[in-house]
Amino acid sequence: MTAVFTIARREIFAFFVSPMAYVVLTAWLLIFGVIFYLLALFLAGQGPGGGQSLIEAFYGGTTLFYLPLLVISPILTMRLMAEERSSGTIEALMTAPVTEVQIVLGKYLAALVYWVALWVPTLFYVWLAGGTGEDVIDEGAIAATYVGIFGIGLFYMAVGLLMSIVARNQIVAAVLTFTVLFGIFVIGLAGYATLDDDLRAVFEYLGLWTQMSSFSKGVVDTRYLVYDVSIAFLALFLSVRLLQAERWQS
Amino acid sequence: MIDVENLTKHYGERVAVRAVSFRVEPGEVIGFLGPNGAGKSTTLRMLTGYLTPNDGRIRIGDVDAVADPVAARRAIGYMPESVPLYRDMRVHEYLSYRARLKGVPRSRVSARVDDALGRANVGDVRDRIIGQLSKGYRSRVGLADAMVADPPLLILDEPTAGLDPNQIRQVRELIRSMAGDKTVLLSTHILPEVETTCGRVLIINKGRLVGEGQPGELRRAGGGAQLLSLEARADRERLERAVEAVTGVRAITDAQVMEASGDGADSIVRLRVEADPGDVAERIFAAVAEAGLRLRELRREQASLEEVFTQLTTQDRAESEGVPEADGEPAAPEQQGPESESESDEAPSSDARDGRDGDGEEEPS
Repeated sequence: MTAVFTIARREIFAFFVSPMAYVVLTAWLLIFGVIFYLLALFLAGQGPGGGQSLIEAFYGGTTLFYLPLLVISPILTMRLMAEERSSGTIEALMTAPVTEVQIVLGKYLAALVYWVALWVPTLFYVWLAGGTGEDVIDEGAIAATYVGIFGIGLFYMAVGLLMSIVARNQIVAAVLTFTVLFGIFVIGLAGYATLDDDLRAVFEYLGLWTQMSSFSKGVVDTRYLVYDVSIAFLALFLSVRLLQAERWQS
Repeated sequence: MIDVENLTKHYGERVAVRAVSFRVEPGEVIGFLGPNGAGKSTTLRMLTGYLTPNDGRIRIGDVDAVADPVAARRAIGYMPESVPLYRDMRVHEYLSYRARLKGVPRSRVSARVDDALGRANVGDVRDRIIGQLSKGYRSRVGLADAMVADPPLLILDEPTAGLDPNQIRQVRELIRSMAGDKTVLLSTHILPEVETTCGRVLIINKGRLVGEGQPGELRRAGGGAQLLSLEARADRERLERAVEAVTGVRAITDAQVMEASGDGADSIVRLRVEADPGDVAERIFAAVAEAGLRLRELRREQASLEEVFTQLTTQDRAESEGVPEADGEPAAPEQQGPESESESDEAPSSDARDGRDGDGEEEPS
């Protein structure tokens, strides 16, 4: 376990001494701020009792929520292993007395920390929404919302880590991650191609479209978490296998 | 400390290491010698667990390194050839990270880091960012990394590459000072390095072990010839005739006029002479003086790696088995078919020379 934390610590250090971290965080908050502003304006125009609360609309009401994440997640995860490989430090890492599982978990833990760092500042918007609206903030719904967000993080960061192992360089890793995440996102779109409501629900479930609308209402639906954790587990398992296979050929 | 049997590694179709077997006793400093592309790094990478062998057995201490790689790696301090380091960290941060990664208890990390910094002689850059260090410093930080967890076995892949002459001497002294206390396996393609630091040498070529023994023995096995270099103020032809007449001189391998004069008698000429072992130099001195030529310099050059190497890789098999082996076994060539045998017998000398020429001259000591 010490090795996992040691690896994660080194990774987080590297991320936060690079300018990349601050560029990404700033861009993210900017985008989020604009969406928040537009939604607040829109809901204010509807007047009180317009149906959705600001928080619900903000976090779950629109697939717009996912689009910036599809771009930002690959940037967070691209360097995890691809950087080790291109700089050759992977040889030092893999000849240290640590297992592939420890390496993968350490890197994954670091990625989850980036994910959390992305979201902590957004609590400010929640506070802002509570201060302006007449409706009282529902703490349960907020907590559920962030549980849902963490679930998506488990999913997206694991996929990103896997792609960072598959790819030989960071840019390829980012493009692959984006392609896979976007591919999964598009599954939700397939729901519109069918008139069958049940089938559409399945597509939207797989594409993560409905995950946030459920959580932002305050409903912790474990089906979504099971999906997130399953995909994360699969991606981490493949990551470990790929690292082990690496030793057969340099 | 290391017991390797029948180690084999393929990269696709290409066999990088074939059926290599050797033993290293605790406390030994052993050199792993061979040209670039001979399979040195691949072998070291298998020993350190970076690569899994296709076949063979590796024991590090009491541990089977293939079955329990983590336990084996715990006993090894490894410095890879490219000396990969995190360029964004400060030297002491990096070494602390590596110490923790290698399982040094938290309370001992800072003492271990200081010790490694001191031994590798990089204490003066402990607060510098690694990416800003010169190559010489970086490779010594790599050496400090190998030593930071105080492992019983050090595996160093070309530890003196990229160092200046002073640093090379320091690193060699450091390695020599560890003999007896630690087991050191270092790879190099520089023969003098092996002679000054190692008690025993393994020679590898084309993925096969072609020789094993003490450096002196190997040089004798390399044909026993000595190389002499001399410079005189003389007419070139007269000088050559005088030297050739000396008993024991086998051939003049090179003659150069360094500085020509009008009638030739005052030219400065430099010769390289291949001679039998023994007192040939004394006789050359006498002969040159007797001929009335003015000798400016006469010295014995050590047989260079390429010569020992060419000898060892082109000798008949029967002869190469005469080279002493630690456990009395030949380097397992039995499994090779006649085809691969002849292939590796013919090719290596040209390869070895091509790779070697520059390196031999750069070597400063």
